[in-house]
Amino acid sequence: MAAEPGTALVCPGDRLGTTDAFCPGEGVYVRDGFLLAAVVGRQRLEAPAEQGGRPVLHVAGRGGAPLVPKPGDVVTVKISRVGQTACQALIMCVGRQALSTEFKGVIRQQDVRSTEIDKVVMYDCFRPGDIVRAEVVSLGDARSYYLSTAKNELGVVYARSAAAGAPMLPASWVTMQCPETQTVEKRKVARLAVVAGQA
Amino acid sequence: MEYVSPEGLRLDGRRPRELRRINCQLDVLSNADGSAIFEMGNTKVLAAVFGPHAVTRRSDVREEGAVVVCEYSMAAFSTGERRRRGKGDRRSTELSLVIRNTLEQAIMTELLPRSQIDVYVQVLQADGGTRCAAINAAVLALAAAGVPLRDLVAACAAGHLDATPLLDLNYSEDAGGGPDLAVALAPRLDQLVLVQMDNRLPVDTFQAVLELAREGCRTISSVMRGALLEHTRRLALARGMAGSSA
Repeated sequence: MAAEPGTALVCPGDRLGTTDAFCPGEGVYVRDGFLLAAVVGRQRLEAPAEQGGRPVLHVAGRGGAPLVPKPGDVVTVKISRVGQTACQALIMCVGRQALSTEFKGVIRQQDVRSTEIDKVVMYDCFRPGDIVRAEVVSLGDARSYYLSTAKNELGVVYARSAAAGAPMLPASWVTMQCPETQTVEKRKVARLAVVAGQA
Repeated sequence: MEYVSPEGLRLDGRRPRELRRINCQLDVLSNADGSAIFEMGNTKVLAAVFGPHAVTRRSDVREEGAVVVCEYSMAAFSTGERRRRGKGDRRSTELSLVIRNTLEQAIMTELLPRSQIDVYVQVLQADGGTRCAAINAAVLALAAAGVPLRDLVAACAAGHLDATPLLDLNYSEDAGGGPDLAVALAPRLDQLVLVQMDNRLPVDTFQAVLELAREGCRTISSVMRGALLEHTRRLALARGMAGSSA
């Protein structure tokens, strides 16, 4: 066990260091005061989070760690079914990483927006096929995760118009417009941050 | 029948404490998340891992951790005479359960709540020690899939014939009527994960046979470790990442 971990490849069960010298990161677990690798991969050292803290040791497996949505994650979902009080969605990406299998999620009426939650009409907020950015509220019930779009930056990010099938452009936080037929459709639109320097 | 000759050689020319030749191949299936073929002498086992993914049967969802589903089956051509075995075969069901219990202790299931990991093990050639080879192949496939593991669990069988503890029995020695002790060990943690025995063995000799099996497990785990590292190194080279320092 050297003080400097280096970039050697490690296997599950390999001892990487002690808890006095390092903090456990991704792919690493602690047992009896030692840090042990949990996946096959390369070691990676990260600077300590706060001043005077211990450096964080990660093991980066190839292909990334198996990803499961957790409460607090911002996910990208595709709406599959819209009902009176809730709509069902398939979780396709967590953060910036795409999932290899889809998880089921549900956006309930009270989680669509933060104001006037009892007057929400689901069909005016989402339609089947829309791509929505949402946040995982909880692990939900046995069937699906509970999702919420009750923030300005959450909501529909991509939708096709019912008339022409063209991708619509956001007009306000409740409407989107089709560029070909100029029809306006209601959606709960996400306010994506405008990057400085872009028109 | 004589299983250990006066010179100390077994039926296939091995010494009592010798393992058979081990060969590991990784990432043999492209559609599985992780796969491996583990060969121990003539015994050849293929393992495929799918997951973690959403649980298929909603009633099986576990909040505390992942559900591990394991299926063990033997190909019809795996034994001496071709015999078509059904899925519900008693031996297959028992071995599926044994392998599942072993893997559940090796996988860090608490990191992947509400998900399911499928492990399929298929015996391609059977010559004794199939359950141990199945566990080894499954652990290699899980490591190749990136599923977090506590340790590289390895399994090995040992027996006791002609008053000698024998390591890694092949089919003829297994059929010899002596005890067959299958052991799975987590070598870095030095913990036994599986201990299963067929037949009878006096308590005084049990310790010696168990210790021999544990030694075998440690050796097999280091061979598996070498194969995993070599495969990852070759992959990194192929992707042009060799020489990139952290």
